[in-house]
Amino acid sequence: MTASSAPEVAFGVLPRADGSARYSHAGYTVLASVNGPIEAQRRDEHAYEAHVDVIVRPAAGVGGTRERHLEAILQSSLSQLILIKNFPRCLIQIVLQVENSPENDYVNTKLVQASLNFALMPALIQTAILTLLSAGVPMRATATVTAIAISHDKTIIDPSPRDVETARSVHVLAFTSQDDLLLAESEGDFTVKEWDDVYETAKKICCRPAPDGAAMQLDDDESSAAVGPDLRQFLRSMMESKVAADLHWK
Amino acid sequence: MATKHHVVLPGEPIDPSLIPTHPKHPLRLGPGLRHIPPEDIVPTVAGQLITNPAKNSMWIEYNSNRYIPSQNDLVLAQILRSTSDFYLCSLSPHTAPATLPHLAFEAATKKTRPQLSPGQLVYARVSLANKHMDPELECVHPSTGKADGLGPITGPGCAFDVSLGFARRLLMARSREEGGVGVLEMLGGEEGGGLAFETAVGRNGRVWVGSESARTVVIVGRALQETDRLGLGLEGQRKLVKRLVREIK
Repeated sequence: MTASSAPEVAFGVLPRADGSARYSHAGYTVLASVNGPIEAQRRDEHAYEAHVDVIVRPAAGVGGTRERHLEAILQSSLSQLILIKNFPRCLIQIVLQVENSPENDYVNTKLVQASLNFALMPALIQTAILTLLSAGVPMRATATVTAIAISHDKTIIDPSPRDVETARSVHVLAFTSQDDLLLAESEGDFTVKEWDDVYETAKKICCRPAPDGAAMQLDDDESSAAVGPDLRQFLRSMMESKVAADLHWK
Repeated sequence: MATKHHVVLPGEPIDPSLIPTHPKHPLRLGPGLRHIPPEDIVPTVAGQLITNPAKNSMWIEYNSNRYIPSQNDLVLAQILRSTSDFYLCSLSPHTAPATLPHLAFEAATKKTRPQLSPGQLVYARVSLANKHMDPELECVHPSTGKADGLGPITGPGCAFDVSLGFARRLLMARSREEGGVGVLEMLGGEEGGGLAFETAVGRNGRVWVGSESARTVVIVGRALQETDRLGLGLEGQRKLVKRLVREIK
């Protein structure tokens, strides 16, 4: 399992974009740029809210049906987070370029057009959120995402593409910083009980409370069971260092 | 002024002890905060929460690249074209054009209005910034009828792009003490060998540098852009100015 690498992010890698970030986690590296609010094309223009345009580009080749599907999922989740009512008749454009992925060499994945790329989805959403933060686009909340695979009654967090293939079911769940469920995508055979377990595990990963003194001590035996990186703490510490760098003159 | 440094993320609750209270003034919210009635104040961007108890105001300090117009900002606009009643100007790339009425200049009448050509720069104030309408500009103080330094920019010079946070620091009344940017003073002072130039700083992240000598314009523009890009402190700015003056002939 190559999956359990710590997440990393670099902000402002594209100097001309309004916001940009390169994020790598679980073998995937995604580079994203955000431009907005800018003037929308007439056909995308909405009288009361901003149009969120998401473009996903795969690591090799041009995007196809799978990328369009990912874009649709991302677009609806991100429109929930961005304060789109603040920018009527505008466009917020998010371009996500997959730079590196631990693709399985044994199978030609392009043949499986119908299936979603579940292992890639958390990296895409997390990159989009980090880039929106870097661009200073007004948002309702931040979010953290995780992917979970179930195979032979074993739960795998942040599965590799190989795990996704052999797994009985795969789930991607995103939670906002107010602990609300933002996105739940599932594929495969699973029971309601299994989904509930996945929900609990994902919530533990995404909504880990801030480690401060006493609360951490109480949680310790519980949270050691839930492996995986503390995404919320990661998001916060990365933004803190970015803000500190931006406001060095203070 | 500001006391403590708190980094906030969008949607995070703000500790009520941080919100200033004042017996007389109403609470004023600056950029990056929104009020959800009845009593929630929520940040919308990632940045540093700054409170000013004397004025009973709070805002979030952050840096970004996209200018969102707000009223009374001083901006450097570029004329796109003229219509029958107003000029259409660009404040930032790919955004809807701002309107500048032909009569919003000092002592302008139907017959004596300034003739501006596309591409020309104008230093203006944002008089109206409404989210449902295109922003409106003016080059005259509405009550006194004086220009107060606003108007078309003439003379040789060049405009440079900087980040919004840096433009804000340049516009501070005491930019050296509060904003930590003394590069313009240094260029005109002994470090720069007394270069003669003039500037117009727009809140939309554009700085116009004017001088008779092209060398001076290049030195000043490069000094501003590098100070912004590298995040230099006062000592770094001094070194940069000395290096640029020495190297550019």
